[in-house]
Amino acid sequence: MSRPSVLTHNYHSYPQPGFDSIVHTGLSYRPLPIRAPELSAGYNQQHTGHHGRISTVRMSGPAYMASDEELANLQKLSSEYQPEVTGPLVGERQSSSAIATEYANADPIYRVKTAALPSNYAYFRTCRGDGHCGWRAIAFTYFEALLRVADVNKLEDEEARLQSMHNLLNAAGFPEHVYIDFVDEAFGLLQKLSASLRAMDGAGPETLLQTFNDPSTAMAIITYLKLLASAWMQSNPNDFAPFLEFNQDLKSYCSMNIEAAQCEIDHLGIAALAEAVIKPAGFALEVLYLDRSPGEEINTYRYEPTGHDGLPLKNPQTLRLLYRPGHYDILYKAEDVAQPLQQAQPVPTQAPLHVALAGYADEFVPMSSNIPDVMTMIPGMYPTGIGQRWPSVSYDYNPNPAPQPQIAPVPTYAPAQTPATPVASSHQEYVTPVHASHVNHHNPPSHHTIQLEPPLVLPIHPPPPPPVTIDRGPQMTIERGGPFRPSMYELEPGFHSGQPHALPFQTSIFRNSHYNTAHFLNPDFQPEEWSPDSEYATGNRGRHKSASQ
Amino acid sequence: MSAGAKKRIMKEYGECMKDTPSGMKINFDEQNMTEWEILLDGPEQSIYSGGHFKLKMTFPTEYPFKPPVVSFKTKIYHPNVSNDDKGSMCLGMLRPDEWKPPNKVVSVLRLIQTLLIEPNADDAIEPSIANEYKENRKEFDKTAKDWVKRYAK
Repeated sequence: MSRPSVLTHNYHSYPQPGFDSIVHTGLSYRPLPIRAPELSAGYNQQHTGHHGRISTVRMSGPAYMASDEELANLQKLSSEYQPEVTGPLVGERQSSSAIATEYANADPIYRVKTAALPSNYAYFRTCRGDGHCGWRAIAFTYFEALLRVADVNKLEDEEARLQSMHNLLNAAGFPEHVYIDFVDEAFGLLQKLSASLRAMDGAGPETLLQTFNDPSTAMAIITYLKLLASAWMQSNPNDFAPFLEFNQDLKSYCSMNIEAAQCEIDHLGIAALAEAVIKPAGFALEVLYLDRSPGEEINTYRYEPTGHDGLPLKNPQTLRLLYRPGHYDILYKAEDVAQPLQQAQPVPTQAPLHVALAGYADEFVPMSSNIPDVMTMIPGMYPTGIGQRWPSVSYDYNPNPAPQPQIAPVPTYAPAQTPATPVASSHQEYVTPVHASHVNHHNPPSHHTIQLEPPLVLPIHPPPPPPVTIDRGPQMTIERGGPFRPSMYELEPGFHSGQPHALPFQTSIFRNSHYNTAHFLNPDFQPEEWSPDSEYATGNRGRHKSASQ
Repeated sequence: MSAGAKKRIMKEYGECMKDTPSGMKINFDEQNMTEWEILLDGPEQSIYSGGHFKLKMTFPTEYPFKPPVVSFKTKIYHPNVSNDDKGSMCLGMLRPDEWKPPNKVVSVLRLIQTLLIEPNADDAIEPSIANEYKENRKEFDKTAKDWVKRYAK
């Protein structure tokens, strides 16, 4: 009988075939007496059963000791081990209450720090922790912020600016014909996004998500940013060299820690990317460091863009990252999310604004643009010319488009809305966590519910409403007429989101006056908004504290 | 394999053709462009001179974001080449954690050639051979030349 057939036979009669793979890894280098010297590649693979049989005998002996070689091999396996990472490269946006929930049972520092997260940062997006998540998170949010600006010219400007940075890449010694592949992928994405903006098809966010979930395209874009960061560092040695360890040379640092295919972003990388790409685009970059450092708040570092005058830009688009040791995810404030939707609508900005007021006066919906006139025409309604305030009210709102997306369900625009629906639905999750941020000021239903429910009967309406919320107070009560019937738009989660930021008057005088809904003397006082420490330091503090705990 | 990777491999091949390091020949099969066969003559000034080595360079699916894998199909006595049926060479820029996407294949080929001239005993895959190279250079040279005669003619 020839040898191979004997071996095959052994293999088949081997009682525990599952065992041989374990032993095999340890012994594959051990020269076995029977093995023919001229075994070709793959030969021993075929006959694992043979190894298995021999080693089983050995292992059953009382004094089985792994040889150094085996130990070395096991060590090698263990150091090469990479935990399986799952999940999409970039996930869907979701409510950040999930983060707080995740840490609800964690140690107190994390619990305290994450508890407030959902009310400040309504959403987050996961990045796969495959060792590129920081680069990926910044790259993704950069393109997302461009999309949020929703200006085709801006995208073209960025492309031109990035193009001009080829000089930097060349100066750093990267061969152009090699990096151009990565550039092409990034520019390709820019062009797809501007095409989508031009067509106003609302497909931008989906395109972006798909692109970043395609491994090779995403890696190309990430690599491009890495090269830009590296080139930037090397061309600005004075800004970066001081941070290197003793005697480390910047070029080799970049090569090992920035350009290398498998290296996560470090602080210098973030700083370089912020300087090279993010800030010149007019974007701010905010990194929240969630770690076990003492304190009750998540430490935040912000890279602020400056204009040509050297002064910080006002209200820049902000890329937000959440850092947990070893991992980056993407965060959003509620208003970050609202904007792209509004921009995607091929609707003049003024129109939806008035529709938003439909909550107060349902019957005015159809004649949105005429609201001011109509209001003043109602006899006795605005004796003191309050009606004149309508225009000014709308101006108050214009600078902050956040509430507008809530208009989405207005049937008139139904066709244009379709692409946006998935995002709108994600608002759903937002309701509960962010309840605290509601401002009764702009929130007739909730303030009625909370405070005025028992006396909702008519008597309460005839008396002129308190001097609070002059803009809206009167209209609201009058239009409502009786026990409130919330409009469907008000029920849209996020209807009130972002509005607190619209308050133009945040002076300390206003804050400490009873005109402020966060003030306890205000008839519409909202306890959630009130932070006693910021005003009266005595009296209520103890009570409030115990109540809040 | 993505279109980008294929494009890149074609580009690299073009560059290697234009600027092939001396003593090398690349067999490229367009049907299977992720596996290159490389015929390498032992450099004149090295102990491997006179030998003809066959190497395989395999491009992973994630190329160029992961390094190509280099393996000697011809047995060679060298501290940086694993002394088994794989003959793998994995050091310097070929290491997954040191690989950079802009690295060029030509530089990989040059690295291989350099290593034949001057093995890197501090970054060895075969510690015993590296030790011999450092401690007992004569013996090392002898075995290496012997293997060239035996396997690489």
